[in-house]
Amino acid sequence: MTRKSSSLVVGGITAAALVLTGCAGGPPAPDGSALSDGKVTIGILNDQSGVYRDLSGPNTRVAVDMAIADYREKYGDEAVATEIEVITSDHQNKPDVANTQAQQMYDRRGADIILDVPTSSAALAVAEVAAAKERLFINVTAATMELTGASCNPYTFHWAYNTEMLAKGAAGVVEDGGESWAIVYPDYAFGQGMNASFTAAVEAAGGEVLESIATPFPNDNFSTFITRAAAQDPDVIGIMAAGGDLINFVKQYNQAGMQESTTLAVGLMFITDIHSLGVDQFSGTTFTDAWYWNYDEQNREFADRFTQLTDTRPTFAHAGNYSAALQYLEAIQRAGTDDADAVIAELEGAELNDLFLRNGVVRSDHSVIHDSYVARVKAADDVEEPWDYEAIIATIPAEDAFSDVNPNCSM
Amino acid sequence: MDAFVQYTLQGLAAGGFYALAALGLAVIFGALNVVNFAHGAFYMLGAVLTAVLLDVAGIGFWWSLLIVPVVLFGFGILVERVLVRWLLGFDNLYTFLLTFGISLVLVDIIKLRYGVSGLPYEQPAGLGGLLSIGPIQLPVYQLFVFVFSVAVCAGVWLLLAKTRVGMIVRAATEEPDRARALGINVSRWVTPVFGFGVALASLAGVLAAPFRAITATMGSNFIIILFAIVVIGGLGSILGAVVAGFLVGLVEAYGQGYASTFSQILIFILMAVVILVRPAGLFGRRESV
Amino acid sequence: MSATSRIAPPRGGLDAFPAPSRATTIRRIVWLAIALVAVLALPWFVYPPVAMDIAAWALFAMSVDLLLGYGGLLSFGHAAFWGSSAYFTGWIASHLGLPFPLAILLGAVAAMVLAVPIGLLSVRRSGIYFAMVTLAFAQMIYFVANQASVVTGGENGLQGVPKTFFGIEAIETESFYFYYAAIPIIIFGAFACWRIVHSPFGRVLSGIRDNPARVRALGYDVERYKLIAFVLSAGIAGLAGGVFAISHGFVSLQEVDWTTSGKVVLMTVLGGMGTLWGGAIGAAIIVLLEDYLSSAGFDGIGIITGAIFIVCVLLFRKGVWGTVAGLVERIRGRLPARRRPDPDDGIDAPDSVTATDTPHDESQSEAPR
Repeated sequence: MTRKSSSLVVGGITAAALVLTGCAGGPPAPDGSALSDGKVTIGILNDQSGVYRDLSGPNTRVAVDMAIADYREKYGDEAVATEIEVITSDHQNKPDVANTQAQQMYDRRGADIILDVPTSSAALAVAEVAAAKERLFINVTAATMELTGASCNPYTFHWAYNTEMLAKGAAGVVEDGGESWAIVYPDYAFGQGMNASFTAAVEAAGGEVLESIATPFPNDNFSTFITRAAAQDPDVIGIMAAGGDLINFVKQYNQAGMQESTTLAVGLMFITDIHSLGVDQFSGTTFTDAWYWNYDEQNREFADRFTQLTDTRPTFAHAGNYSAALQYLEAIQRAGTDDADAVIAELEGAELNDLFLRNGVVRSDHSVIHDSYVARVKAADDVEEPWDYEAIIATIPAEDAFSDVNPNCSM
Repeated sequence: MDAFVQYTLQGLAAGGFYALAALGLAVIFGALNVVNFAHGAFYMLGAVLTAVLLDVAGIGFWWSLLIVPVVLFGFGILVERVLVRWLLGFDNLYTFLLTFGISLVLVDIIKLRYGVSGLPYEQPAGLGGLLSIGPIQLPVYQLFVFVFSVAVCAGVWLLLAKTRVGMIVRAATEEPDRARALGINVSRWVTPVFGFGVALASLAGVLAAPFRAITATMGSNFIIILFAIVVIGGLGSILGAVVAGFLVGLVEAYGQGYASTFSQILIFILMAVVILVRPAGLFGRRESV
Repeated sequence: MSATSRIAPPRGGLDAFPAPSRATTIRRIVWLAIALVAVLALPWFVYPPVAMDIAAWALFAMSVDLLLGYGGLLSFGHAAFWGSSAYFTGWIASHLGLPFPLAILLGAVAAMVLAVPIGLLSVRRSGIYFAMVTLAFAQMIYFVANQASVVTGGENGLQGVPKTFFGIEAIETESFYFYYAAIPIIIFGAFACWRIVHSPFGRVLSGIRDNPARVRALGYDVERYKLIAFVLSAGIAGLAGGVFAISHGFVSLQEVDWTTSGKVVLMTVLGGMGTLWGGAIGAAIIVLLEDYLSSAGFDGIGIITGAIFIVCVLLFRKGVWGTVAGLVERIRGRLPARRRPDPDDGIDAPDSVTATDTPHDESQSEAPR
């Protein structure tokens, strides 16, 4: 009977281990009051270990803490949110982890709101949890239009940018003389969406897209695609890849000596991309930016505070999270409660202004529109200090920066 | 037609790079009967070390081509001595699993230390620009990678075929029992050969630094393509790894040129066809079932 | 298993695969009852969605162990079946509105259909070749899933998969009750694994693992056996993937990524190859560890899981299950007088390195080496 006895012990140890790991199971407790336990809990769910770590990651918490400090300073004893707690979680860019973590944050850790959530699939997964749990979700770092389109819901807001907004900067490039384009895009949902948005934006501005070339995703070797794009002899080559693939492309693009003859336009770029590859590799590249730390005094001041705490400059994702947390607390202040529906009522249709949102409006599809910028990467010689990589060449007013209210969205 | 020639040249250039990267995998398998899952991680370490050498010590590309393989050779020996050797007497699935674990750890250590958005690296001086032959254009760096890879592959072949050390290693690899009977101390050669294979992987990493994103995960998808290459070529066969490397480079380039979104699937279709026709790979010996 | 009946019964050498004795059967029933209680109690101790994850990954690990521990075949591409079933299940549940158990069953069938061509090619190779080939084919499935965004949603994933269950709202909305509605599927899958392992088919499979030449000499079609095992294992992985998809309410490319294949192999080896239940322990450890690390603010999950895995492969090749069970047996002074060959150690390894022995199931310990 050796097997039985040893199995019993193994089973017992396992059961004990399970008990020790967390006594958080059991059937759901009945909902009590709509007010949450005397404090406001802000959950940050993002990528703390993967490709998006540097552009949002752990430093998002610093930005959110800054928003809380500003809120407290502004309202002092008048503050409705007397106690504010911040909790964080790593979704590792895996939507299934995001889904479970979001459920836990709302259910177990008492989150009233979840912020950030890069990676479109993860963001969409969290949006569904938010709708099911009837708590807020403000997405900052995912790009997908779906959040405010077919997958929109009353509890989800999309704060900083989306694929169509990224394409609006293309008009500025066309007006600058870059009339003929070749677009290289990775053949998956994000890339296809970007290709469609850019093609529309270029054509609307009077330009022409000579060829759109789909590439596999992920992909390391772009040399053949660069050759194919160059064969069209375009003024501008638009690259819609992001992250590591973008860096692969740009390195090989420069290696092929394309920098001299064509302008490079990048679909989605964060300042961390420029920093990691080196500013000279990107010099002259144009892209749409949602926010830039060295744009004016107000941004600069925020960036300096941020840098004191982190030793790095904030990306637009950090500023966006600051803004989302701040406006959420302001909405609680106006509503006098942290009840989700009351806060949403305060946010809907609101005109918001802070260092991130310039002329911000919360639209009926819960897309938060605001002024955005056409940026050009500086030449290495023009960089005056670390992270001083961008020259803002145009401001796109909020209503032009985002397309009309998404007709696919019904709440 | 021009386009076809262009794709062919680009395919050969990519193929040389693949061949070099797969070579170390084949050498290690040949001598140790180990399929090194961490090969992609060693490749990544090579690229990261190249970038760090430049950033910290100002050591440029040409010196890195020498220093990085030497350092990684030492690291490979360490890994073999401390970890791999304990499992050499076992079914090679164990070393496969062990090296899988090693790659997980290495990737996350680099991630923690150097972040995830990648490290910058400059174009090495003198290797920029384009080479034009009529309508055909090829970046000079790609040409360099091709020539360099072919030279290394040829050098490794010469080493194994023409030198005494090579003959011992080959004998130990191909007929270990007989080599032992002839009084050759087989196990003595195992550790340096592992280090050598790791050094080859890191050499591919150095070559990758100027034209690929240097990130902790750069080897994670790469290793799967390398697996496909050695399966096509026949594991353990050094010639097979080289030929299959070029074959995959060409298939990829034609795929990118004519059916762009399918170019990566094509590699695996090629692999399926090879398995169907020659289960042991193009140059593989039939393994005992 | 109906599949086994098509295969010629063993001619001679049947004594190598004896039927279990009555005592063994009783012990198994007792043991199964204990496992059942543990499974049913799980969501009281662990956050229910995490409990469901553990159960799904446990079944997934068992399907891998079925091949690895009992067939000696390391599939490093099992995410292809877990993921394709997840997509099928998700698509059927969202578009046809079928109750979720039916959708999961259809998803598992789809995974089995997919496993036929992949298996036909893969079983031509064995050992390490098999691992690499399955990995490469799974990568191919990944690219296909990424391309077929009309069906799979591509990078965005397949969102909004409903938990349709005859209009019973508690199950459709509360993860705690959903667990109890879905767990019979997991139990069914685990039972199928167990039946396969302890059937004549399973014993032939173990025989192929230990000595393919001998089994072939006995008149069995070795490759056919391997293929059937592969397809069955894919089906069970498919059941697990389907449950996972319904539980999370969506399917993403992560489900067909090679890291998912790696993770399940990690669980299987950690828990103990060739023990079936070990996979469940491995799954529980990894899922709970990841869940804990996600909110603990530590970035290097791979360092911890990788290091545990390395230690496990180097020192505890029998995994947690095999090692703990072996230790218990040793403490009780019941070490067998004669060192027996170790059938619970899935792939052929000398006994000399590990200090402990694994408790044996008589039916297996007599299997030919």
